[in-house]
Amino acid sequence: MLRRTLLPVLLFTCALTAQARDLTVFAAASLQDAFAEIGQMYRQGGAHDVGFSFAASSALARQIEQGAPAAVFASADEQWMDYLQQRGLIVADTRKSLLGNQLVLVVPADSTATVELKPGFDFARLLGGRRWVTGDPRSVPVGRYAQEALTRLGVWQFARSRLVRAENVRAALALVERGEAAAGIVYATDAAVSRKVRVAAVFPADTHTPITYPMAIVSRQDSAAARDFVQFLQGPEAAATFRKFGFSVR
Amino acid sequence: MLTPTEIIALRLSLQVALSAVAFSLPLAVLVAWALSRVDFAGKSLLHAFVHLPLVLPPVVIGYFLLVLFGTRGPIGGWLDEAFGLRLIFSRSGAALAAAVMSFPLMVRAIRLALDAVDRRLEDAARTLGATRFDVFFNVTLPLMLPGIISGCIVAFAAALGDFGATITFVGNVEGETQTLSLAIYSLAQSPDGDAAALRLVIISLVLALAALLFSEWVARRVRTYIGRA
Amino acid sequence: MSSPGEARLAVRVGRRLGDFSFACDIDVPLAGVTALFGASGAGKTTFINLVAGLQRPDSGRIVVGSRVFFDSEARVNEPVERRELGIVFQDARLFPHLTVHKNLMFGLRRARRRTAAPHIAFDAVVQLLGLAGMLERRPHTLSGGERQRVAVGRALLAQPRLLLMDEPLASLDGPRKAEVLPYIERLSDELDVPIVYVSHAVDEVLRLARRLVVLDRGMVVASGLVDDVLPDPAVARLFPAIEAGSLLHCVVRSHDERYGLSLLELEGGGVLRVPRVDLATGAALRVRIPARDVALSLSQPLDVSTVNRLPGTIIDMNRLDVTHIDVRVALGNARPMRARVTREAADRLGLAAGQPVWCLIKSVALDRATLLMAPDPGSEATESTLAIDPRGSRASRK
Repeated sequence: MLRRTLLPVLLFTCALTAQARDLTVFAAASLQDAFAEIGQMYRQGGAHDVGFSFAASSALARQIEQGAPAAVFASADEQWMDYLQQRGLIVADTRKSLLGNQLVLVVPADSTATVELKPGFDFARLLGGRRWVTGDPRSVPVGRYAQEALTRLGVWQFARSRLVRAENVRAALALVERGEAAAGIVYATDAAVSRKVRVAAVFPADTHTPITYPMAIVSRQDSAAARDFVQFLQGPEAAATFRKFGFSVR
Repeated sequence: MLTPTEIIALRLSLQVALSAVAFSLPLAVLVAWALSRVDFAGKSLLHAFVHLPLVLPPVVIGYFLLVLFGTRGPIGGWLDEAFGLRLIFSRSGAALAAAVMSFPLMVRAIRLALDAVDRRLEDAARTLGATRFDVFFNVTLPLMLPGIISGCIVAFAAALGDFGATITFVGNVEGETQTLSLAIYSLAQSPDGDAAALRLVIISLVLALAALLFSEWVARRVRTYIGRA
Repeated sequence: MSSPGEARLAVRVGRRLGDFSFACDIDVPLAGVTALFGASGAGKTTFINLVAGLQRPDSGRIVVGSRVFFDSEARVNEPVERRELGIVFQDARLFPHLTVHKNLMFGLRRARRRTAAPHIAFDAVVQLLGLAGMLERRPHTLSGGERQRVAVGRALLAQPRLLLMDEPLASLDGPRKAEVLPYIERLSDELDVPIVYVSHAVDEVLRLARRLVVLDRGMVVASGLVDDVLPDPAVARLFPAIEAGSLLHCVVRSHDERYGLSLLELEGGGVLRVPRVDLATGAALRVRIPARDVALSLSQPLDVSTVNRLPGTIIDMNRLDVTHIDVRVALGNARPMRARVTREAADRLGLAAGQPVWCLIKSVALDRATLLMAPDPGSEATESTLAIDPRGSRASRK
């Protein structure tokens, strides 16, 4: 009896591992939808299989540092890529930043709140006693950008006291969608894919460091397949997809 | 030695754990009583339900709490409308999450203590003119005390340590829900947070050990006091 | 049988628990000490639990004094805490988290809420039971005997209308028993509380009780005055510990210092000579004589060494077993003397009802009759308890 159950289980597991990704890509949460579609296109091209892990760039970088088997890393800010580069974990000459994004303030779709993002704007009135959410400014790129922008606008001291720190930008988005948070700061591309939030305002580009998405190959997992995929990412089909989702492409 | 963030997290953890235990205690005693002394339809269901947090992933519990007590959830919505009380992102919410996670431990300890009380002493008390209520408060409860105290302290330690339910339900809000576990998690994500994270880890360890040792000591003292050493 | 207005304890109940069925019909006056005697498993503890309300009968009626505690037809079931009973359990059951003082006050405090004037006072009980030195101690520091005394005190201070004692001495060893027994004896004398004393120890029953109810396997086998019930062979057959015999009431008439004897005058005439007892003349006492220590003679025995020879007339004869017969002999107006003779002897002597005979009581029998020497509870005499040393000559007063 044991053999009858054991054997199929073993075979099944082998089959799974046989289908193991040729390639694992770690990408920032905000790249989720675009990369998924690009991944589909790549697989249909037939060359290799590719799999993704989406999370906050901070979490991904730390995982790579711990030895996670990612071949490609796409971060939402330069700092986390620098972090890995300083530790010699990426192939430096494969590092390229092609994508850009905008920072927006969102509110739940049924909210009628409006705001003008100028210095000293009345954040308190917008929140109405409730809280706002973004990725944890200590580590998550979107949070860092948010802190930067709000500091530039002179409201960070107040904002900090009402902040809910989310895991990553999508988690922040979810909280706004659910109406638990009165507002959130996410990327324009995230707001675009959600029907349950409304963009209340766009942060002027001069309030924060430009949002860029450096991508690189992880040294330990360098391979032909990895390079092939990166090339695809930087190609015209991928670019079109990125633009479709709202990213700017250089 | 400790940064303000760390001190806030520590103080918050203690507050949240203490309120979690304090508020669950009466309910835990009631449930322990029901499971130990009363026969009713659905008793095993109650038992299973109470012990779910021991078995389910904490994040699942957190999610259930979110669905129920979130601002748009059935109970959360009512609390918001009726009392303007919002549990999400708040200390009370964190206490609720911690309470739910530590509840089964408290019930188990109290139930054990209750089972150990000699029913014959309760009979004797009744023959001396004490009503059932009287018997409970003047005979049963004092004799259960060591068990109740251990239960509270173990529950306190468990409440201190919760992560999954807390972060899923009430999120990570410094000063309100960022307990030690959440603070450690946050710091571990930050590029330069390792040292701070380690400090907090050590503090958590010390707290947990202290709580467990204290619980043993108290239980022993009370046992001698009531003559059962 | 009952005089008008006399309070009674009436328990007529049935209860089944698994294989064990318990049924009893007891109706005794609610006064003095009534002993409930039976072997282990006979239902003594069940009786206490039913009267106390800790168990519920399947059917029947329980009345204590003027209060109906249980009536299955009228659907009355008084809760335990309202029955105003005092229960002394075999295992004391003192509250371990309270001092002796607080244990004692437990019932009293609650009784005070019921009645304004408790009639059993704290100091009286403490003094009666010798508890003064232990008030601030905890139960686990007390000896078994001390614990039982506190348990008795606690039950008394609850101002009970009836005190039920469930084999209170069973868990004590000999010396402890001897220590506690006198306290219990004084209870019924000095406090006005009726007592039901449950036991399987004959000597306790004899020393303490006036009335006796005998239980066997959940049924009442006999009920009445101790003097009448105890000697009954039917009872003795069930309980080998109780030997069939006679309980005679006598009064000390004089002492014979020369021979170290005391003369006891039996009610109805007749004299018994016993090893000297340390009582004043005029003191009343009961004496128990096992039937097998009584021999019968058709003629007045003059050439025998037996000290005590009493004339009487055979009342009746009952076959005990294949070898023996129990013969009841009337001694004047006194209670009958019982003698156990072989059938062979009875046939040989031609014994029959109405026959005049002489009873020969081996004086040894009196030495061994340690059982009780309490004056009949209910008589005027108030001497304290006496025990005859089985080995020796001297009886000493406690």
